[in-house]
Formats: sequence, structure tokens, C-alpha cells
Amino acid sequence: MSLFLQTIICGILLGAMYALIAIGMTLIMGVMKIINLAHGALVMVGMYITYFCFKEWGIDPYLGMFISMPALFLIGCLIQKYLINRLVEVDSILPENQVLLTVGIMLVLTETMRLIFKSDYRSVVTSYSTKTFFLGDISISIPMTFGFLIAMILTWLLHLFLTRTDLGRSIRATAQDRDAAIYMGVNASRITVITFGIGSALAAAGGSLLLPLFYLWPDIGHLFTAKAFIITILGGMGSTMGAILGGLTLGIAESLGATYISMGYKDVVGLIIFLLVLLFLPGGFRSFTRR
Amino acid sequence: MISTGYKKLVVPTIVIIMAIALPFVIKAPYFQHIIIMIFIWATLGTAWNLLGGYAGQVSFGHAAFFGLGAYSAGLLIFHLNVSPWWGLALGPVISMVVAIPIGLVCFRLRGPYFALATLALGEIFRLVFTNWVSLTNGAQGILILNTFSTKIPYYFIAFLIWGISLIIVDRMIKSKLGYYFVSIREDQDAAESLGIPTTRYKMFALLPSAFIAGLVGAFYMNYIAFIDPHVVFSLSDISVMVILVVMMGGVATLLGPSIGAAIYIALSELFRAWLGSANVLAFGIIVCLVILFMPNGIIGELGTLKRLFIRQDKKAMVAGGN
Amino acid sequence: MKKCLAILTVLLMVLGVTVIAGCGGGTQQGQEAQDVIKIGVILPLTGTEAMFGTMEKNSMEMAYEELKAAGKTTINGKEIKLIFEDDQSRQDAAKAAAEKLINQDKVVMLSGGYSSANTNVIAGTAQSKGIPFLIVTGSADKITKQGWQWVFRGAAAPSSKYTSALWDLFDKQIKPRNVAIIYENTDFGTSSAEAFRNDCKARGIKIVFDQSYEKGAIDFKPMLANMKKANPDVVFAVSYVMDASLIVKQMRELDFNPRLFVGGAAGYTMPEFLENAGSAAEYIASTTLWVPSVTWKGASDYFNKYKEKYGKEPDYHGAQAYATMYIIADALARAKDFTPAGIQKALKETDMMTIMGPIKFEDWEGYTNQDRPTTYVVQWQKGKLEVVWPEEAASGKLVFPVPKWNER
Repeated sequence: MSLFLQTIICGILLGAMYALIAIGMTLIMGVMKIINLAHGALVMVGMYITYFCFKEWGIDPYLGMFISMPALFLIGCLIQKYLINRLVEVDSILPENQVLLTVGIMLVLTETMRLIFKSDYRSVVTSYSTKTFFLGDISISIPMTFGFLIAMILTWLLHLFLTRTDLGRSIRATAQDRDAAIYMGVNASRITVITFGIGSALAAAGGSLLLPLFYLWPDIGHLFTAKAFIITILGGMGSTMGAILGGLTLGIAESLGATYISMGYKDVVGLIIFLLVLLFLPGGFRSFTRR
Repeated sequence: MISTGYKKLVVPTIVIIMAIALPFVIKAPYFQHIIIMIFIWATLGTAWNLLGGYAGQVSFGHAAFFGLGAYSAGLLIFHLNVSPWWGLALGPVISMVVAIPIGLVCFRLRGPYFALATLALGEIFRLVFTNWVSLTNGAQGILILNTFSTKIPYYFIAFLIWGISLIIVDRMIKSKLGYYFVSIREDQDAAESLGIPTTRYKMFALLPSAFIAGLVGAFYMNYIAFIDPHVVFSLSDISVMVILVVMMGGVATLLGPSIGAAIYIALSELFRAWLGSANVLAFGIIVCLVILFMPNGIIGELGTLKRLFIRQDKKAMVAGGN
Repeated sequence: MKKCLAILTVLLMVLGVTVIAGCGGGTQQGQEAQDVIKIGVILPLTGTEAMFGTMEKNSMEMAYEELKAAGKTTINGKEIKLIFEDDQSRQDAAKAAAEKLINQDKVVMLSGGYSSANTNVIAGTAQSKGIPFLIVTGSADKITKQGWQWVFRGAAAPSSKYTSALWDLFDKQIKPRNVAIIYENTDFGTSSAEAFRNDCKARGIKIVFDQSYEKGAIDFKPMLANMKKANPDVVFAVSYVMDASLIVKQMRELDFNPRLFVGGAAGYTMPEFLENAGSAAEYIASTTLWVPSVTWKGASDYFNKYKEKYGKEPDYHGAQAYATMYIIADALARAKDFTPAGIQKALKETDMMTIMGPIKFEDWEGYTNQDRPTTYVVQWQKGKLEVVWPEEAASGKLVFPVPKWNER
């Protein structure tokens, strides 16, 4: 029993981290309907910024978040404004060539970081990195719990932003029907720029939260991109609450798979759930909340 | 009519003669190697293009078919001690058989959902082949010794496979099927309302695509002489790169994938050999530039340029669809 | 029309590459073919393995400079020239690099090879072309078990032999009743685990837990909690750098106390491991091929010099590359002529000391041209790696059983 509970708790805590990264992607996919393969690379850049702040100025990774988030917001805006938006305007056979642009961006980001920081593995060791507390014989990691709480707060703030502010509403309108939004006077291309910026900033936040318990090297982005996709589809494109649910589901599924099947197959469990949701619940978990 | 029939014969003849002469002109095995790699990628790109370009079903999991072909060849020698060349016969068949359930599952989905479903399936194959050690030898992979020590036999086999794939795709898109494919890509709902059974026709695009990918995968095993699951089922190095190859060359054009492959292999090899550790960065920048300034690939943009000067060609309309 | 244009473009591209590359290769050959001995070195300088590839390249260059200062890089008026190629941590790039070095640059010998996958491909190419290939790191058993006469493995051990010293220690001192095995599902991980499993079976040691994992996982706790339940005496783990530190950190978080935790080289001996795992690294043991404190001449000099020059501590991978450069220079000095066959013969007759210990290429237990490796068991004690086995090389005493996490 304690093994089962331990597994579930690990899954929930990890799932929240995944969710935070995925929320950025779900926003981007929801508004622009493109597959962003550079998302993991953006997380990676965010992690490097946090790492740099820690090493150079001794800024705690949780505070470093407030530097990496605006920085990535800016990078995201620039990418959308000068690269992706240019492509939206031209006519092409398959809209998927935007995907390839993101592949190019991913390569450029990864290799630039490699030139600056080399390929060495980096990590940030803080006093609380391996602190835990025990509930019975279940061990709970403190930085993970902290990450979980911050992830929840950020999601809640984002939710408020999307539902209560004009800008947020415009983003949601663009996601639902871009043409209609334009007729209503929404500047859609500005909205996409802001959305990509917010998405990137959230990716950076996820990176900063992971840094104290994980590690960092230039190719780390691949790990996150696939996870973020899965969660986006699980939760339904463009839905923040869905992404949280999706993240938790994926985290728990992976943990259970690792405990009861094999660590090597844990990703297969996640992918199969993903396929089942795609097939039988195409709108993702959002379909439950709607109507 | 006579002139087009005449032209039809002339161009392939010239290409075939040039191709046969090529390995005797370019004697350096290193360049022969590069040309063989170009053929491999050109074939794989052509396979992807049939499903992704013409029928508009953008697959992020073509590594699954490629890898199955490669492993069919590899496992023949690993378990049964049968020459891996038989994989060229077995691989495509296995890929095709596996493609049927994959198609049935994924064709229910559209657009990005379809893309992500294929991505997930490709990854599942990689993980299963890594973990199912008793069948596949897991991550230790399969190592063989090359059958031929010169490149020339490989060159001709690769050329033949490329030629076969071009003929298959060419025949298909010139037939009624081609029109169905394009109609599905352009507007699936409209196609359905006209009574086209879309799932069946998507399957008609997928099966040959998987067949060709399996064929070239089996050849890859024979040529490179070592495979492991991380290599042949790779998402970033195979599944995504093949899309890149096709898009750089020109989506939904017969020769676009081949041109994309030539550029991809030549550029990445040039950069790798001369730019040291900045080579991947340079490649990434080129990718961004190509996509930004030639969003329809090189052949696609040639068409646009041409159209500025010459009257619109009806055939190109159907094939290119722009 | 469109078709013609397309075909033309393809041909132009191919022609262009040929001309550019041909010129590049041509001028080099024209000027230097007479007075240099070209050695091709293929290492991952980009991609996921780039960190190790860079360390090995640095080490080789450092060894080269030392040799040059000693006047050993010029043999009979011919200078040794190293040509480094990047394999991008991908095997088709490794194949292309090998083809280029052999056919374009006309090297007389190949070296390098970090990952087993890429080493396989380079070895296969070298064997079919008849070019001697001296492996730096690639450790899959099968590479030197093919009977390939052109492939030599000197400073690197086959992965199943990394544990020789460990088994000696187990048999003589620890005598574990049962063990748990965890390993990353890569070539190195699976073949190390397989060899360990067979050794256990031969001795009748019970394996209570045996699982692989995909490298790059964030959370190992489900697996570790499961393993804790199986309650093994000794844990044997084969992991890459950062996975290694996450595993031991999370073991502490779970308060999982095996009597001894032994890593299978790779991740558990690197400076990054200590840096990231911090105090959780204490008392973690590992097998290894080399530590800076070994008694072989020059080992600590290499370590200090590298640290000073590149500002970073090297580990056994760097030492392998450094020793390999010395083996190359030694073989070339003895070679009758600088043809591949001449170098192959000289390599075969190698009998020298390096910072990795004595090097000799022998045929044994089904291996061909394989050096008999010297292995060690080390243990992290007070933030330093101490050799604890074999006894004659020991710099510290094995702490066993290790204290529980909450008693430290």
C-alpha cells in the first residue's frame, strides 16, 4: 500500500511540472494551431538563464524565475513576430511548414547554447535540493512540492488573465475563431505574438522550477517537447485546466507504469494513454468540462 | 501529344544513362557514399511525400516503417542467419502489414491530431524495440559486416530502389488516385460529400508509402551494417528530418523530395566536414532561411517563378496543387 | 520543363559538392602527402555525447603537444597529423566521417569512437577497408569479438570486463547474498548488466530486482521504491552522469539503505556526479578503469595538467584518449613503413606502459586485439575517490556496510 501511495504522490508532483511546461504549449497550439517543436528548446534556454543567474550572481532558481520568464517572453515575441508570423502570411500547400521552421529554431537555440555553455552537464545545487519530509513512510520531496505549488499558482493566475482581462479574452477569441476575432476588431497578429511570448515565459518557469531537482545540458529540450505534446492533447488544445489534468494524468500513469510494469516501459504507458484519448476523447479532458 | 510522349522517354533515359555512368565518373568512394545516402533519403522522402504531400496526412512517425524494414533485415541474420538482403523482400511487406492497423487508428484523426498520433506511434515502436531484448537484442543493436567492399553494387541497388519508388508514386498520382489524394488534402469534408471514401484512399496512400519506407530501411541495414532502435526509430533524426527533406525540396512534387535529400545530405556533410562544432548551428540557420523564403520548397517556388513568365500549366496545377 | 530543371538542380548540387570537396582534398594532398602521417580521429563534438567527445579531443591534443615537445611526433622526417572529425553523436555521420577520412584524406590509421553504436560502424568500415582502427572508448563486447584483425582496443575495456576487480572484491570480502541490478537501456548499460547477471548466476547469487530505464528520466522514485521493497544486499547500477546523481539523491530521499551501492563506471566516477549529488555521493562505490590517484606513471600529472589547461577535471574517458595518443605514437615509431599493414603489425606488437596501465593487444576469451584491462573499485570518501580494490593499489579502506542515511 505504501508503495502504491508513494507512486501516486511521485506522479502527482512530477505531473505538475510537466503541466506547467505543457500550458505554454497548449496556449500556443490553441491560438495558432501549429505544432511547436522548439518548445523544449525554449524550456532549455529558460533553464540556462536561471543557471547563469545562479552561478554568476548567486540568485536562487526560484527567484531566477523572475528573470528567465521576462527574458523568454521577449525571445518568444521576437520569434513569433519576425519568423513564424512571416510564414503565416504566405500561401503554402501544407501549413505544416511552420513546424519545420520550429525545427530550425530548435536547432539554432540548442547549438547557440552549446557554443556559449559547452556540452557539459550543469546543475544547481541548493540547500533544499534533496530535502524531504515523511508522511508515514512516504517520502515527499520539498522542492517538488514547492514546484507543485508554484505551478498551481501560475496556472491560476493565467486562468484569471485569460478570463478576466480584455487581452486574455482576445486571446481566447482568437483561439476559438481567428476570422471572427479579426472582424470583432482583434489585432490577431499582435495576439499571436503575445501568446507565443506567454507560452515561452511559462516554459521558462517550468524550466526554472525543474532546475534544482534536475540537471541541464543543451539537448535536454527533446525530453520536454514530447511530454508537452502528449499533455496538450490529453487536456485539449488551448485549455489551461485541461493541461493541468493532462499533466497529472501523465505523471501518475508514468509512475504507475514504472512501479508496476518496468521503468523502461513507463513512457509507453504514457503514449498509449495518449493514443486512447486521441481516439476516444478527441477533444481531450476539456470535453468533460464543456457542456 | 507526340512531343509529350517523346519527352517522357527522353528525360528518364538521360537520367538512367547519367546514373549508370556516375559511379565511373566519380570514383572516390566517399562521394559514392554521399550519393548513396542521398538516394536513401530521396527514397524515404518520396515515400513520405505520397502520404504527407499528396494526400496531406502529415506523418511524424515514418521512422516506424523505416525501422521495421531495417529490423526485418537485421533480425533475419541475427536469429535465422539468413542473408540480410532477403530483408529487402520481407521488410516492405512487414511495414505494410503494420501500416494497416496504424492507418485504421490514425486516419480517424485530422491535422495536428493525426500528426501527433503518428508521432506517438513512432515513439512506441522505438521504446518497444529497445525493451524487447529477446527479440531485438535491445539497445545493443545488430552488427553485420558489409557484403561488398566496394560502393558500386550499393550504388546501383540504391538507385534501383529510388527509381522504383519514383515509378510507384508517379503511376499513382497520374491515375485517378492522385486526384482523390489531392482532393482529400485540400478539403476532406468536400471530398467526403462527393462520395469519396476518404479513409480507404488515405490507406491507399499509406500502404505504398510504408512499403517504400520499409524497402529503404532494409537497404539501410545492409549498407550501414549496424542498427539500433535509437537510430532507426529516431524521432528527431528520421521522422522529422524526412519532413524537412520533403519540405525543402518541394511538397507534392515528384522530384521535390529527391532534391531536398540532395541538399540535406550535401549541406550537412559539407558543414560537418568544414565547420567543426558549429556545423549543426549553420544547418539550423539554413533550414530557417529556406522555410522563410521558400515556403513551398525549391521546386514549389520554381513553379511560382515560372508562372510569372509562362502561361499557367494545367498539369502542374494538379500535381502542385497551388 | 519542371522535371528537367529539377534533375539539373540535383546534378548541379552533386557536382558542386564534388568540385568543392575535391579541391579541398586535392590541395591538401598535393602539399603534404609526402611528409605527414595522417591519423583520422572520429569523436562526437556535437550532439548528446559532445561533452565526452570534447574531453577526449582535448586530451589527445594535450598528449600530442607533449609528444611534440619530446620530438616524438616526427618520425623519419614525417610528421604525425591528427585530423579530427565530428560524428554528431549519430552513426550515419560516423560512417560518413570514416568514409571521408579513409578515402579523401587517405589516412593510414583511424582512432576515436566514443559510443558503442558509432564505434561499431567505424570498426566495420575500417575492417572492410583494411585500415587499422584503435578504439578510444567504445566498449560493446562484440566489437572485438568479431575476429576483426584491423580493430584494436587498448585503453578501453569490453563492457563485461569492467567488473573484474569488483567480482574479486565480492568473492573475497563482501559475499553478497542477493543483488539488485538497474541499468540504462543503452548498449553499454545492457551489455554491462548482462555480464553482471551471468556472473551472479555462475556464483548462485540471487537477483532480486532487475530493471532497465530510459535515460533522461526525472523521477526514479517509483523504480527505487520498488527496489527498496525487494530489499537487496548490494545494488549494481549502470548509469550516465546525471542519471547517476539523481538516483543516489532520490535513494536518500526514500531512505533506502542497501549495504553497498556500486556503480558500473560511466556516471558514478565523474566530477559532475559529486557536484550534483553532493553529500549523497558519500560511500557510493563504483567500478572504474582509471582514477587520477592510480600508481601508473604520469596519471596524476595528466590530471593536474588537464585541470589547469581546460579548467575542468577529466575522468577516465579523457585518460583513455590521452593514453591512446601515446599508443599511436609508440606504434608509429616502431612501424617499418607507414602503410596500414605496417601500422597494423606495429600495433599488434605493442607492449608499453601508459597512464591506463600496461597495453598489449592479445587474443583471449574470443576477443581479438584486446588489451587485458586493469579495473578498480573506487569509493567516494569525504568527497574524494579512493581506490579500495585491488588491495595492492588501494589508497583507502572500503567502508562496508555503509552507514544508513539517517546515521550519517
